[in-house]
Amino acid sequence: MSSHREAPEISKDPVADSTDLYAFVSAGNTVTLIANYIPLQLPAGGPNFYEFGDDVLYQIHIDNDGDGRADISYGFRFHTTVRDPGIFLYNTGPISSLTDKNWNRVQTYDVTVTSHGQTSTLGSNLPCPPCNIGPLSTPTYAGLASAAVNHLSGGTTVFAGQRAEAFFVDLGSIFDLGDLRPFEQLHAPMGTLKSLPGVNATNDLNVHSIAIQVPISALTISGHPTIGVWTTASRQKARIYDADRGEYVTAGPFVQVSRLGNPLVNEVLIPMGEKDLWNSLPPADDKRFAQYVTQPALSGLLNTLYPNSFSHVDALAKAGTPRTDLEAILLTGLPGTVVKGFTNYTGPVLADMLRLNTSIAPTPSGSKTFSTLGLIGGDPAGFPNGRRVTDDVVTIELRALAGYTYQFVDTTYDVDPAADIITDFTSPPAIGSAPTSMFPYLGLPYSGYLEPSGQ
Amino acid sequence: MPSQDETHAAEPGSSGSRRLSRRSLLQGAATAGAAGLAVTAMGATQARAATDRPAPGDDDMVKPLPSGPIVLNVRDAKSGDIEVFYGTSQVQLQDKELTARIARALG
Repeated sequence: MSSHREAPEISKDPVADSTDLYAFVSAGNTVTLIANYIPLQLPAGGPNFYEFGDDVLYQIHIDNDGDGRADISYGFRFHTTVRDPGIFLYNTGPISSLTDKNWNRVQTYDVTVTSHGQTSTLGSNLPCPPCNIGPLSTPTYAGLASAAVNHLSGGTTVFAGQRAEAFFVDLGSIFDLGDLRPFEQLHAPMGTLKSLPGVNATNDLNVHSIAIQVPISALTISGHPTIGVWTTASRQKARIYDADRGEYVTAGPFVQVSRLGNPLVNEVLIPMGEKDLWNSLPPADDKRFAQYVTQPALSGLLNTLYPNSFSHVDALAKAGTPRTDLEAILLTGLPGTVVKGFTNYTGPVLADMLRLNTSIAPTPSGSKTFSTLGLIGGDPAGFPNGRRVTDDVVTIELRALAGYTYQFVDTTYDVDPAADIITDFTSPPAIGSAPTSMFPYLGLPYSGYLEPSGQ
Repeated sequence: MPSQDETHAAEPGSSGSRRLSRRSLLQGAATAGAAGLAVTAMGATQARAATDRPAPGDDDMVKPLPSGPIVLNVRDAKSGDIEVFYGTSQVQLQDKELTARIARALG
């Protein structure tokens, strides 16, 4: 949940709150795009289990010419049907198939693609799986989830529904004044406790995923193998509660209320007063926010929180030295001069997008070069070259903010030794329902009966 | 005459190009009588029934209201600046007469 509850207004609207975005090259010369919404779901969240918003327009956008504007947009609209409004239950017996009459509250969706002003429908009334209620209600959950993978024309595959959270982060420590548990003994306000392993705040929680897999050729243009990806959620401008009907009515054009490209940009870099504005704008307008990327407030705080551990990056911050490394990683992509043999540069337009060079083959998870630290771990198929489900983006970005990546743009820079080891976990935490190697890649959602309350 | 300026219809594939007549808006606004109000499909029918008194020379402007909710936001009553939301579209009106009628309805 690299962007969950990241802005004051969207934190009150979880159905439209994007949490994570992934983009990576997958088997068969395809790209997989996954946008997660509805953060921090307790698996036992009945009787009204989590679902997408029927009144929300969810989109995944692709810029394939480097201008920070969408050239291709996949749109997802959901429709909920209550088969028997006379009962209060989500289901009245075991749900054995996606058409089972025991399932009372069913959600389907339509998928469209818009390119150059033309919109076409890729699929209609596609089924979502139910939430994972428990062994009595959803006894064959894997089969239900599998049946909800829809193969469309043109080699496109889609899935939309509940999955297990794959992102891990020690939220409790990070937002308690950056008190990273592995470095507890070095933290200025604390400093009296022993070093501790991190605590995964998202352990055994679910999210709702929108996943689409398309041929690389459907997303790229000739000579431009790198694409920029971001997701948005939009709501209609007017929303009024109709007390006579007991529901909200909506009208007017859709306006963007949530945006996510690179992980943690809005959450950690954009100041409180501009976070919801940032959410409402396209990446092409990100020049107005560039100062928060090139002069990140957190970099200037590290040496205060951990005295004498980050003096070099502190000197950069105090001198007002623009962090051109962060600008390249987050706003333009890396030109070929930064890391030998690698580029995901899309041009000079400053735009927060997840940039994926589709000409770089995926690294097999068992190979020696595979690293959850992505490019800084020597693996060019991982973040910031797109983002895979297992990439440890919190550690990567902590180290980048701590100055580790500045050495790539200024070879004379002396990296703080702590910048090479800073992390929120002593080792990546185990994920109970781990990501898989099969579409839609996130693990099956945790069961309300078997893992009711996370942790 | 009040000006109408449809801003945009953002949802792909939507039919957001329908225009509202001044008369149909007056009908809806008179019934709801509030700045920032909704007229549901049923409410719109009731609105017509309650105020269906053709103005002289206005018959050629009578058009049915769009189905679904219509929401008005009076941005500035003095200048008559009104936003009208319907379907997936929005029109901008400058209509001092309408805002004056809304003000009277509000008492």
